Amino acid sequence: MQLIWVMTRVFLKIFSRDRQAIFFSLVFPLLMMLAFSLFSSDETEPVYIGIVDEANSALSQAFISRLQERPEFEVSLGVEAILRLQLIEGDLDLMVILPTEFRGSPADIDLRVLIDTSQTAQMDRVMPLLERGLVDVERELRNQQPLFALAIEDIEARSQSYLDFVVPGLLALALMQISMGGSGFNLVEFRRKGILKRLFVTPILPRDFISGMVLSRLLIVLLQLSILLSIAVFLLKITFVGNLFNLYVFIILGTTIFLSLGFCLGSLAKSQQAILAMNMLLTWPQMLLTGIFYPIDAMPDIVQPLANILPLSFIVKGLRGVAIDGASLLELGTNIIGAAIWIVIVLGLAIKLFNWKEVAI
Amino acid sequence: MPMSIVKTENLHKKYPLPGKRTEWFYAVEGISLAIEAGEIYGILGPNGAGKTTTLEMIEGLTDIDEGDAWVDGISVSKEPYQVKKIIGVQLQANEYFDHLSLAELISLFSKLYGHKADPLLLLERVNLREKAAAKPKQLSGGQLQRFSIASALVQDPKVLFLDEPTTGLDPQAKRKLWQLIKELNESGMTIILTTHNMEEAEYLCNRLAIMDHGKIITEGSPQELILLHAPEPPVIPMHGNLEDVFLALTGTALRD
Repeated sequence: MQLIWVMTRVFLKIFSRDRQAIFFSLVFPLLMMLAFSLFSSDETEPVYIGIVDEANSALSQAFISRLQERPEFEVSLGVEAILRLQLIEGDLDLMVILPTEFRGSPADIDLRVLIDTSQTAQMDRVMPLLERGLVDVERELRNQQPLFALAIEDIEARSQSYLDFVVPGLLALALMQISMGGSGFNLVEFRRKGILKRLFVTPILPRDFISGMVLSRLLIVLLQLSILLSIAVFLLKITFVGNLFNLYVFIILGTTIFLSLGFCLGSLAKSQQAILAMNMLLTWPQMLLTGIFYPIDAMPDIVQPLANILPLSFIVKGLRGVAIDGASLLELGTNIIGAAIWIVIVLGLAIKLFNWKEVAI
Repeated sequence: MPMSIVKTENLHKKYPLPGKRTEWFYAVEGISLAIEAGEIYGILGPNGAGKTTTLEMIEGLTDIDEGDAWVDGISVSKEPYQVKKIIGVQLQANEYFDHLSLAELISLFSKLYGHKADPLLLLERVNLREKAAAKPKQLSGGQLQRFSIASALVQDPKVLFLDEPTTGLDPQAKRKLWQLIKELNESGMTIILTTHNMEEAEYLCNRLAIMDHGKIITEGSPQELILLHAPEPPVIPMHGNLEDVFLALTGTALRD
């Protein structure tokens, strides 16, 4: 038991002296956070609409000028062929063709809306805007009083930007990458240098060695994430309403999972190249599937069951729940249980795979 | 008769032949040794003879497939951790953690044995005191070997294992290391070493074994082995030098 502390202190000394590694492992998550804070400004891009006015009537003129008055649209007029080209180039989000019968006030006029299907992601945002805009314009032109007005309020009564959403995810991502990078790579390096073999001739037990390495790494990752968190809260001013203790519960759970996973890879991999490839195999799917950048609910139904049980998903949900909803540990209980099950699996596997005789020689 | 401090009986180690699962070759085949306390015992042999494998089985680094080894009466296969506590091991590869100084490494190793050795005193013993704050990477080959031995002395072992301690060293560094090994032995430590260097074996070892193909071919003191196996030196015909030739042809009388 005492040897765990000996090893923890030694590894803390070793790892903390590698300032370069500590610094550069923070650079990537920091850049990601900064990039997202630049991109998620509050002003939204207008919808670029091209209009082909085949009617050239009083009604179509009025319609166009009303549309031009609205801040959410950027309207340009032109002939169909040229606007089509602009649409394909991506300069326009969509084009609307006002047919020749767009005059007077007949009951049904078909407006043709042309879109580029390769930009369908945009359409989810644009179509409701367009429909609402058209209804408003129509109402104005017919001098109808609106029946009602919708005022949409956030029930949490907090403004929440995409940055608020993505930063807890980015913290989880950083946690995974720093943890997996650290433990596994060190193990492979120690083995290749014969350091593990040298330790193996002393009476230290494998579990003391692993525990010391995990504990020291855990402390360093906690420090690194605290730095990231401080920058996010104080510099980028993300919304953070939760309890700091709860947040650290998830950080510790996550770090333990990924340090252990890194250990498994370190025991299996025979070379740095091999562990690099294994690392990619395990981290990339989790980067894409665990709701870091957009919620799991928005993913295709077929991947959702898998996405929901990936270890990083529990951590992302936990961190996000604490940070932006102020959720309690009880409310996030499922995620704690999920993470705990992963710890049992991965730590057990790490201890089983790390056997001096296999690893040291 | 003194009790052997290191004893092996019929040690075997087999590995699967490359590319074949069911065929084996024996890296070590039936090694039985009895090494007395206070000896310097040498294991000699060409590369691949099984020297290192034999040492590693006694040290508990490699599983013993057949037979057993005892150090100070403790069975390696049954109580490897008890054996590890009383032996010091210097391996062929000696790299250490980056970022730790010699003094810090010595202090780490002594803690692993539950000891509190004074790093400076130990470094003094191998003549590296002034390098206490240096990192292993900054040492020369000879210094690194001496450090490696110092790190194996932290728990004051009963038996010290040295695997090719002087390979790659220059003559000065080699002599220094021999001197250190002799001193350690004079202080009562049993030393088992492997080497390719016959001069080293002859200079250091009280007894030695020559191994080839996983077996011991002969064993004895250097003198015994020389008398037993070394061929008689060829009789070198006595010839004179060029002056004799000159004198023979021109006579010895003085010419004035």
